[in-house]
Amino acid sequence: MLAPVLKKYGSIFAAIAKASFIAEIEFRLNFVMKIINDIFWYAAQIFTFEVLFRHTNLIGDWNLQQTRVFLGVLFIVDAFYMTFIQENLDRFSEKVRKGELDLLLTKPVNSQFMITFARISVSCVGNLIIAVSWFVWSLSQLPDFNWMKGLWIILLVPTGFAVMYGIRFSIAAMAVVFVRVDSMQYVWYQLYRLGMRPDSIYMPWLKFILLTIIPVGLIASVPARAVLNPPELWVFAWSLIAGPLFVAFSAWFWKQCLLRYQSSSS
Amino acid sequence: MSFTAFYKRNLGFYKLAIASNLEYRMNFFMDALLQPSITSIVEMVLWMAIFKGAQATTIGGFDQNSYLAYALWATFIARATVNWTYEFKMIEEIDQGSINGLLVRPMSYYEYYLSQLLGYKSITTGFSLLFPIGIILATGLPTQWDRFPAAMLLVFYYLFFVYSISFCIASLAFFFNKVQSLTVSKNLAMWLVTGELFPLDLMPDYLRKIFLMLPFSSGVYVPIGFLTGRIGWEFLWHGFASVTVGIIFFSALGAFLWQKGMRSYAGTGA
Amino acid sequence: MSEKFQYAIETEALGRSFQTYKKPEGLINSVKGLWNRETIEKVALQKTNLKIEPGKIIGLVGSNGAGKTTLLKLLSGLIAPTTGYAKVLGYEPFQRDPQFLRRISLLLGQKNQLWWDITPLDSYALLAKIYDLDEIKAAKRVQELAQILNCKHVLETQLRRLSLGERMKMEIIGSLLHEPDVLFLDEPTIGLDIVAQETIRHFLSAYVKNKGPTVILTSHYMDDIASLADRLLLISKGSLVYDGTVQGFVANAELIQTVTYKIVNQPEYKEEVKKADLNEFLVQLTQKGQIENIKIEETDFEDVIHSFLQKESRLL
Repeated sequence: MLAPVLKKYGSIFAAIAKASFIAEIEFRLNFVMKIINDIFWYAAQIFTFEVLFRHTNLIGDWNLQQTRVFLGVLFIVDAFYMTFIQENLDRFSEKVRKGELDLLLTKPVNSQFMITFARISVSCVGNLIIAVSWFVWSLSQLPDFNWMKGLWIILLVPTGFAVMYGIRFSIAAMAVVFVRVDSMQYVWYQLYRLGMRPDSIYMPWLKFILLTIIPVGLIASVPARAVLNPPELWVFAWSLIAGPLFVAFSAWFWKQCLLRYQSSSS
Repeated sequence: MSFTAFYKRNLGFYKLAIASNLEYRMNFFMDALLQPSITSIVEMVLWMAIFKGAQATTIGGFDQNSYLAYALWATFIARATVNWTYEFKMIEEIDQGSINGLLVRPMSYYEYYLSQLLGYKSITTGFSLLFPIGIILATGLPTQWDRFPAAMLLVFYYLFFVYSISFCIASLAFFFNKVQSLTVSKNLAMWLVTGELFPLDLMPDYLRKIFLMLPFSSGVYVPIGFLTGRIGWEFLWHGFASVTVGIIFFSALGAFLWQKGMRSYAGTGA
Repeated sequence: MSEKFQYAIETEALGRSFQTYKKPEGLINSVKGLWNRETIEKVALQKTNLKIEPGKIIGLVGSNGAGKTTLLKLLSGLIAPTTGYAKVLGYEPFQRDPQFLRRISLLLGQKNQLWWDITPLDSYALLAKIYDLDEIKAAKRVQELAQILNCKHVLETQLRRLSLGERMKMEIIGSLLHEPDVLFLDEPTIGLDIVAQETIRHFLSAYVKNKGPTVILTSHYMDDIASLADRLLLISKGSLVYDGTVQGFVANAELIQTVTYKIVNQPEYKEEVKKADLNEFLVQLTQKGQIENIKIEETDFEDVIHSFLQKESRLL
């Protein structure tokens, strides 16, 4: 029962990947710039902490080597986001305004899937390679590091990513109801910024919110803590639940938004 | 062409930008107030954590309050001097050929977008600065108010520099597709060199000298460092000078690229 | 002050070609395309000679890609010629002298030039500043034009809220605000309903009679051309293939006429006959029997153009 569905979506996904690559490589400058842009972004984060740690030994709970690991996790999650999600959801409100959503809703595929994976930013695979390299290097710099701990990443990064997706998609879905809401994108970016810093720098009450109600802390802070600190099993269990939970919420929220959808006239 | 005609139409463009942007109130509110407020709070929290971890009362010669003031102002001023919307508009118009409607009018493309950018920035910055001003007045964080006009003058002057770079990038749209990615690059790079992330004087000596020489440091570090008492008047004068050199350089480059671009322009999309 | 020229528009060997590149097929070739691309040169307009007197309406017709929009852009100064030159009102368009720009107007049927987020009245006020017009006179002019076009009631509604027909009327007012001497109209009635098309046609006709600008009009609606144009320019594959009157074209083109006839005790027939053969056909017809009813239809200008364009695209 599940196999043919997986096969169908798997082959759609592969077709999208190939078409995306051919289309992307057409714009040579754009292709190269995307990779360079992410390098700049990584450089900004790294550079900031390298300079700040010249003046202090500890930020939050972590020293320089540990913060580097945190950044590695952040970069990996970000690379996945940039590759699969970012462009599609950023462009979504524009598509709704242009009436392109109507074309999608009449097709025999899951609309959320098609919106989420409309295009794959193949050039960002380069970013993923850089991110993983940095991550591995930063781990190797840690004194007496237990590589088994790295396995936590395999579990917690996908769930953190799922939470990120769930929140991001829900925000994008609002474009269907409030047509002139480019500004919602900015709300998302602000939330993401909160998750871009180690959650240990925040006041306890804020840290709690960032782990539960708006769990952007699950994106990078928690997986990084799994690698660097002794295990906090409750938090990890919550992360494993939160991932699917937020994705399910986004699916439900999407259906609600569609009920209120009034397709735009030309 | 008389000066009054020039002045009248550019004032018209300035007001056009204000009217167009105020039309979308939600976006305006998010853009002018919500975004920078949240970012500045996050940055201030970061500085509190840094001081807690350092277990020292001063870093680089300045106390925590000085850094909090810097982080607060830096976020807002950085937003005032970055050009996203209008640069994207310029690129899109050239890409799509909508520039045709503008080229047949007796006005220059350069002044059309410069005046609009100034209008947009005036209204957004004017409104958004109420937040840091309010916080500083309420908390008494270090800010030398007598230096405020001079600092803001440098920021305003810097905007012309930013625009001259935007014009160069927009002109590249004549030759390449999807030049928007260059905008992102440029803005990310500027993020690093303006001093938004942290005061530039925290950097190791050899880097600091280079960064301070460049006009980009006048985007955030020079005016805000000056305003919060980190640096003195000599830095401000140097800022004006280096920005002037920057404006001359990029304006010349922009004029060159524009001429070349117009020659090869195909006018498609009309 | 507008000087009197013998010709409002004059071109000699005016031509334009573009460079484009070959887009390869498949994944591997796409990757190769990153550093290696083959360029092709495409001639959009062959060397063209034109002389147009002031006050005339010129209809520019051709299929898509024939070169008519290129000619329009060369004459309005949007693009530079690769061969020859053009002179419009004594200026070289591409120099884009502000004095030149003040005297021309470009109306693009498919694009909005007025500002999207503000009312037409605000747009006109801004245009008055751009063209350095007397504000009071300009405002009066807006009211006059809006009165004729019957759209005064929407002057104060933001452009994005208006229907396509209303927007087009606003665009027309905007393009005539500064009383241009040369008007370039690119598909002005496209997408409009019949009533709106007719309104605009009547308006343009009256306006030109009254104010006397030179007009270059491109359109896919032959009714626009047939009812407005004094002169017809037909462009095919970048070359001017016809330059004369509309009637002249219709007369010279290979015409098929439709003859509907009924002979006593026989059903009604419809036949297509070439104009040249019409006489012989009628003679033969009278020999077939007593003609009860006969109707000869003149070929529509539209059909002539269409068959011409069809022939041309088959050869392409």
